[in-house]
Amino acid sequence: MTFMERLKEAVESFGLPRLIITGFLILLLIAAPIVGADLPTQISNIINRFSWNGILVLAMVPMVHSGCGLNFGLPLGIISGLLGATISIEMGFTGGLSFVMAILIATPFALIFGGLYGWLLNKIKGGEMMIATYVGFSSVSLMCMMWLLLPYHSPNMVWGMAGKGLRTTISLEGYYLEVLSKFLQINIGNLSIPTGAILFFAVLAFGIWAFLHTKTGTAMTAVGSNPTFAKAAGINVDKIRLISVIMSTWLAAIGILVYEQGFGFIQLYMAPFYMALPAVSAILIGGASVNKATIMNVIIGTILFQGIVTMTPTVMNNMIHMDMSEVIRIIASNGMILYALTRKTEGSK
Amino acid sequence: MSRKKDLRQTIQKSSVPLMFVLICAVCIPISGLSPSYLANEVVTRMGRNAFLILSLLIPIMAGMGLNFGMTLGAMAGEIALILVCDWQIVGIPGMVLAMILSVPVSVLLGIFCGKILNMAKGREMITSYIISYFINGIYQLVVLYLMGSVIPIKHTSIKLPRGYGIRNTVSLLSMRQKLDNLIPLKIAGIKIPVATFLVVALLCLIIVWFRRTKLGQDMRAVGQDMEVARDAGIKVERTRIISIVISTVLAGIGMIIYLQNMGNIATYSSHSQIGMFCIAALLVGGASVDKASIGNVFLGIILFHTMFIVAPKAGAVITGDSMIGEYFRVFVSYAVITVALIMYETNKRRNKNRAGKQLETEQNGEGGAS
Amino acid sequence: MKSRQWIFRLGALAVILAVAALMFVVGRGHTVYFDSKAETAGGKEVAVPYKIEVVVDGEKAAKLYEGERGMASTMGQNFKMRLDITQEKGQTKKTVNVGMKLPYSMDGIVLNLPAMLAGLPQEEYLSEFIPVPSAEELKDEEVVTDEFGDLTGGSEDAGMEGDGSE
Repeated sequence: MTFMERLKEAVESFGLPRLIITGFLILLLIAAPIVGADLPTQISNIINRFSWNGILVLAMVPMVHSGCGLNFGLPLGIISGLLGATISIEMGFTGGLSFVMAILIATPFALIFGGLYGWLLNKIKGGEMMIATYVGFSSVSLMCMMWLLLPYHSPNMVWGMAGKGLRTTISLEGYYLEVLSKFLQINIGNLSIPTGAILFFAVLAFGIWAFLHTKTGTAMTAVGSNPTFAKAAGINVDKIRLISVIMSTWLAAIGILVYEQGFGFIQLYMAPFYMALPAVSAILIGGASVNKATIMNVIIGTILFQGIVTMTPTVMNNMIHMDMSEVIRIIASNGMILYALTRKTEGSK
Repeated sequence: MSRKKDLRQTIQKSSVPLMFVLICAVCIPISGLSPSYLANEVVTRMGRNAFLILSLLIPIMAGMGLNFGMTLGAMAGEIALILVCDWQIVGIPGMVLAMILSVPVSVLLGIFCGKILNMAKGREMITSYIISYFINGIYQLVVLYLMGSVIPIKHTSIKLPRGYGIRNTVSLLSMRQKLDNLIPLKIAGIKIPVATFLVVALLCLIIVWFRRTKLGQDMRAVGQDMEVARDAGIKVERTRIISIVISTVLAGIGMIIYLQNMGNIATYSSHSQIGMFCIAALLVGGASVDKASIGNVFLGIILFHTMFIVAPKAGAVITGDSMIGEYFRVFVSYAVITVALIMYETNKRRNKNRAGKQLETEQNGEGGAS
Repeated sequence: MKSRQWIFRLGALAVILAVAALMFVVGRGHTVYFDSKAETAGGKEVAVPYKIEVVVDGEKAAKLYEGERGMASTMGQNFKMRLDITQEKGQTKKTVNVGMKLPYSMDGIVLNLPAMLAGLPQEEYLSEFIPVPSAEELKDEEVVTDEFGDLTGGSEDAGMEGDGSE
């Protein structure tokens, strides 16, 4: 009886959906060798995809901390990153240097966009998430026009026939393809670990963790958990929120560049649309809520989410010859977001 | 003084429609489309979309904002149409049967949506928006895997060759524009879907009537202030669920009318953007997140769809690239919703501040008197 | 009061169900194919007129010479058509009005007109048309389940335009 009660308590604190998803992933990992999928390859895949997506998920943390809610406006940061990437290539940088330059060029864009975005979110406290979603959508569709109109000329990026207008996907061959992943890569049989990319994530994650323990960082947490109290304590709430939004936007910009170096392509036009929801659900699966998130949530969430995304197609296909992974992904990730949105959250209204 | 303020307020309120009048006024001559073509298109789109957009009004009345969950109704309508199509029930009877069939599905989805929204008070819109994605997953599960394997589907023209799942497009040739052409009428070369308009008019009357019923009044009270309504003995949660259920059912019927005009179902994408375009059109008509009238619906359709028709052509003329116009109208749709949401939130905050200040001065006044 | 409300609700439900049932009957669509050939379903031989014109719902559905096939889409089980028959080339037309009940279960129905005109029993002139799936239909189809619809697809523009205006 007491055991059952304790179990119930544990389930409640962990959250039922999270439990189901963890259980599902464990089941997949057990099933994989049985149905004939190579486990080391699968695990390499998960680690690889973790290294691509980790920073995009990390970009959720500052805004959640300051009480701005889940950053559905992630596409705005991604656009800054895309601008950095394309301008870096346009300016003729190649190899590893093009990656560094992309980050440097993306930064001012992220600061400006993030600043405007943060200023806007301060005007509409309480309705952040919906407006963030639509700010993201508007900026993506605005940029769709811009990708066609901006004066890009690099023959590796523009449409061959017209000689202008960027292509929908741009290969990074010769630029920063796998610059991080290949750095100190470890290969043991079928298992390969992209050490560089993971180190890069670790550095940023540690940076955020350290930041959250500085004076500004603790102020940010205070603003998120109780804005009235924070205001009474003399914290400039709007300024702290602005900083958090700029940080989130900048992280998203870096995140997309890291994603691209692993994925191998720059995806323009409507592609950034697809990016916010997976990142949001990943951090929620990791145990975050609308106003609470830790680095640990990011790591666990990304592994769980990417694990399911990579494992289900192979296991399902081998098992029942029916690829339902896409549907499972949609239901699981959006179900997770719904679960988080319906939780009663302390602090925020 | 106060008149000046009133004027400013009305201009502010109608700024979105005015902006669209401006966009249309600029784009129409540039696009070079003939007035009769334009009129024909707008009338067609009026018949196609009006019912769907009207379905958004009731949740707004109940203070639940823009119902992004109307997509749920659209999916119910599509499922009903697919089944009816497979049973080979054609023409108007097929549509009626599909409507009847869509209602129980819509009601179930509506109750689900309403219950979830009651758990997420204060962030209804983002939640209903995520619900639409979530149910889209369930819809895909049903249509892509269960239809043909669990739910019998007979015809190979609908079913995927692998034996289960529905094809990307389902032809509705047997129902195509059957309602629109039921009462044929042409005025000055413009084809008018009289029967469709009659159905829309009937719905408008029902909405006007509904506002005066006890339930309608309750909804408005809930929309104004949930706590006050609860004190007045209104079952707040129940009323909110009912408003979402009504909206979902209407959206399902609206989707069937929409698709009979289109003549085919894009099984996996017809519904995905419908919510966004309907909401954008309503907002362009001058509605806001907490206030929308039937007039807004029709003005919105005219302005939004005129923009929609002329933008690609105008864009092609100006920049020499037709894609620019395509992206432009998508951008405008999103931007309109963004602006409307921002205006709503800032107004809400301003009113809250004002109320707070008023309370403060009142309290001070009382303190001074005693 | 409560019970009256329930009776009212049940009544409404019954009416709706009745309407649905009625729709099943009146709205059932069939595709009727007209054959003008000598051999009947049972293998008998009949004489074939020079030309048969089929008129359904006041619209000419087919003009058939020997060995040809025409078709019409219909709704409901009561099928009426007018046949304008030219027996020999150059002769005047003879008009025959035909009314018949179509079997509910068949989607496609083949009517052998000469056999019907010869007064043979139904199983001789009426048979089910079982369509052979075309190569197009058998081809594997990639399902596109884009979460955000086809916004960049150019002409499709997210299903908002299409060919709605004919």
